[in-house]
Amino acid sequence: MQFLLWVAVALAGAAGWAVLALTRGEPVSAAWLVVAAVCSYLVAYRFYSRFIAERALGLDPRRATPAERLGNGRDFVPTQKWVLFGHHFAAIAGAGPLVGPVLAAQFGYLPGTLWIVVGVVLAGAVQDFVILVASMRRDGMSLGRMARQELGPFAGVLTMIAILSIMVILLAVLALIVVKSLAESPWGVFTILCTIPIAILMGFWMERWRPGRTLEASVVGVLLLLVALVAGRYVAESATLAPLFTRTGEELAWGLAAYGFIASVLPVWMLLCPRDYLSTFMKIGTVTLLAIGLLIVRPALHLPAVTQFVDGSGPVFAGALFPFCFITIACGAISGFHALVASGTTPKMVRRETDARLIGYGGMLMESFVAVMAMAAAASLEPGTYFAMNAPLGTLGGSVESAATVIRGWGFSFSPDQFQALTASVGEQTLLSRTGGAATLAVGMAQIFSRAFGGGLVGLWYHFAIMFEALFILTTLDAGTRVGRFMLQETLGLVWKPLGRTSWYPSSIFASLLIVAAWGWFLVQGVRDPNGGINSLWPLFGISNQLLATVALCVATTVLVKGGRARLAWLTLAPLAWLLVITNTAGWQKIFSPDPKLGFLALARATEAKLAAGELTAKVAQQVVFNARLDAALAGIFLVVTALVVLASAREWWRVLAGRRPVIDTETPFVETAYAS
Amino acid sequence: MRADLSRLTALATLLRRLAGMPDYAAYVEHARRCHPDAPLLSERDFFRDYLRARYADGPSRCC
Repeated sequence: MQFLLWVAVALAGAAGWAVLALTRGEPVSAAWLVVAAVCSYLVAYRFYSRFIAERALGLDPRRATPAERLGNGRDFVPTQKWVLFGHHFAAIAGAGPLVGPVLAAQFGYLPGTLWIVVGVVLAGAVQDFVILVASMRRDGMSLGRMARQELGPFAGVLTMIAILSIMVILLAVLALIVVKSLAESPWGVFTILCTIPIAILMGFWMERWRPGRTLEASVVGVLLLLVALVAGRYVAESATLAPLFTRTGEELAWGLAAYGFIASVLPVWMLLCPRDYLSTFMKIGTVTLLAIGLLIVRPALHLPAVTQFVDGSGPVFAGALFPFCFITIACGAISGFHALVASGTTPKMVRRETDARLIGYGGMLMESFVAVMAMAAAASLEPGTYFAMNAPLGTLGGSVESAATVIRGWGFSFSPDQFQALTASVGEQTLLSRTGGAATLAVGMAQIFSRAFGGGLVGLWYHFAIMFEALFILTTLDAGTRVGRFMLQETLGLVWKPLGRTSWYPSSIFASLLIVAAWGWFLVQGVRDPNGGINSLWPLFGISNQLLATVALCVATTVLVKGGRARLAWLTLAPLAWLLVITNTAGWQKIFSPDPKLGFLALARATEAKLAAGELTAKVAQQVVFNARLDAALAGIFLVVTALVVLASAREWWRVLAGRRPVIDTETPFVETAYAS
Repeated sequence: MRADLSRLTALATLLRRLAGMPDYAAYVEHARRCHPDAPLLSERDFFRDYLRARYADGPSRCC
């Protein structure tokens, strides 16, 4: 009976893939996308994750977890597995899985979807799962410390550098996404600004007025957010208020940098913690709503399965399908950043060892599903709308009419009147070149929501989606700046002791300033970039995220090898090899490609030539040249750091396998659980 | 009535755990059981202590 059920699931999945791959000319229903993905996940979870759990990791229900042994009612708390699944999912899924697929949709929906599903099953979920278990068997040790312990101090330092630099790029690109979706949008700016006093109010509520009443404060917070959302419309329509909240990209960029700095030096309870709660509830609620909406509406996918841009001539970002589809979609398929979360709070809360399979592997499958939904929402737009929103202004020209000419030139139909009507219906002045994915996704979601739940309140749903995305991006800006600050202080402390004291205010302020200056720099440059910034920053982010994943997979492989499971090391070695191929190819192309659209160095040379020909002013040209070289250097550093970590790991594996190094078991010794089985 | 109330409490606990909020009742239960002699933290002190542990090191959020 069981057997028949799984055959049916596998067949349904295969049918889904067949429809997606073979249908040409007429729009496919998004339902097939969902069926293909979900059936693949089910089969992978049932068979592959079980294989990993039993053979490679040897999960043992009788072995006590850190939550049980070290339980303190605070961070080590045994937690029911489905609750922890939700908690872990909320911690790993952010803007990444929403934005990447939207950008990669320029290749059509098929390549991205295939990578999201195949990538998560064979790479992303495996990484998260193995790292979660490794950390859980070491009392919740962090990735950086595991790297130091397993690979030596040198690799440990390299890992810290990798984490710090990915953090800077990540924060810059996330902030840029917010800027792109809020520029010249009074409704959006008003709503997002309101989230700050609302969060502070919640902070005072649960720390001062009603200590510990977090849930109560959150309910009030969510209600106030919805009020702010509705009020935003009146602000946007008011002749006196609207100009106050209509801000250019550059103003918003400076504002975000200032926000990031102030938020990260305030006490945690005042802003970060309440915002964290708000965004968690909004995230889980909205994702559930989107899944229900997709099921009800089952929109047709208007984007082609594969577009002509697979050759690398696409306007959204430069580069061909290989390797850039695999770089653009990091979160959703494999995200190195997860290794930090999987070795952070989650392993301290696992109640029973065998629960780790659902939480680590299953949690990542869930994030991948979010990515598939984002892809479905983007692909349900008309191709003309999609490209009008995602191509840089430099390509489209300044007006809807000029954009129409360009988009028709690519062979897609585009009606300026319809586009203007869409713009008006979401309450914006312009949707042209709102790069960065957030706005595109919001339009897609707004159409699905307004059709599913009636009312036709497209504008309200659009701004709801924007708020939902901006809310957790702002949380990440704050949390990320804080983490960067701690890491920087730790390093600075080696130079001069007092700088390492995280409780010393001058040191905290100094380190925060440095971190904000670093991401703020890339952010402001991205906003000024005539190609829209996302063009150069997102690939850099993808590369750095995947490189962090290679570091995590190195640690995971080392753990397997040292644990006497070298014969199963292919589980992590295969994704590692694939990641090395795509990141090195992409990194190399980004640095050295002769095409100025793709290669940073070529862009610098081309800009210098334009300057010499008198086509550009010196100020603009110098900035572009400097940034292109900086980006090239950064990509180079990423590649070198990772190569060194891989070499250090390979040496370690060799020594262990050749018997030159005694294998020291670094797992916490077995203690039998007290739970009844 | 009582059943409704306990169901509501269970929902509240679920939501709290989901968002990673401190659970004072769980802490009190733990402290009574494992450290009966140590002084009990007040709800506010526990909240502060909890935040320190949760946000002290490492990222708890992803992109």
